[in-house]
Amino acid sequence: MTDGTTAAGLAEEAAPQVTPEVTDEATAEEETPATRESRLARLEREGDIAADYLEGLLDIADLDGDIDMDVEGDRASVSIIADDDTSVSRSLQKLVGRDGEVLEALQELTRLAVHRETGERSRLMLDIAGFRARRREELAEIGRKAAEEARSTGKPVRLDPMTPFERKVVHDAVKAVGLTSESEGEEPQRRVVVVPA
Amino acid sequence: MLDEALEHLVKGIVENPDEVQVHTKNLRRGRVLEVRVHPDDLGKVIGRSGRTARALRTVVGALGGRGVRVDLVDVDQIR
Repeated sequence: MTDGTTAAGLAEEAAPQVTPEVTDEATAEEETPATRESRLARLEREGDIAADYLEGLLDIADLDGDIDMDVEGDRASVSIIADDDTSVSRSLQKLVGRDGEVLEALQELTRLAVHRETGERSRLMLDIAGFRARRREELAEIGRKAAEEARSTGKPVRLDPMTPFERKVVHDAVKAVGLTSESEGEEPQRRVVVVPA
Repeated sequence: MLDEALEHLVKGIVENPDEVQVHTKNLRRGRVLEVRVHPDDLGKVIGRSGRTARALRTVVGALGGRGVRVDLVDVDQIR
């Protein structure tokens, strides 16, 4: 392999990062049944690799939890769930961490494990004990409130800086109530602006 | 358990999993988990701006290794 063996070498390789949040949906519509099938197969394989990696960790750490796999749009989605048992849910919280810090770290490692097997960069989403699902609901609510405000005041509403994932959820929520939104600023200060109709 | 968990996490992301070794050292200053990988894999476990190394430390910390140091070295480095 020609991968750089130093951190500096890797930094060069992964230079500019444009957030593809707007193009996410558009590509899915133009595909033929055959490409759709191979995309699904590829994402399902990502989920399988991720599940093996995470299951191994749960075993070693003696943590209970079931693994759920799905494909959402153009991403594989893997969740470690607690199976309605509150003590299990509590013990999984340590894999979520404060503000999802541990969850992000585990997602990062899981994507690397998938990349090792497939050779392709993975955009897999990991959720643990429903953390991301809850966060998604909060963000959608933020998006809807901002849309309401933009509509009633007739002025753009600028939200706090968010991660690409968070902005995507907000954009979708704004779009669902019939308004438009855009992103402005540079990462990590990039934020959603909701535009009045 | 911590060393085993760390070994599993690292083995899953490197090109040469058979060459991954994790040693636990109990120093006076505290516990150190020393991860040895194939020289070609060192960049991979460190990651862009140390991102992967940070992720490994975060997960080890969460599994009960708060205050445990994680050192990443390649197998050719002399102790």
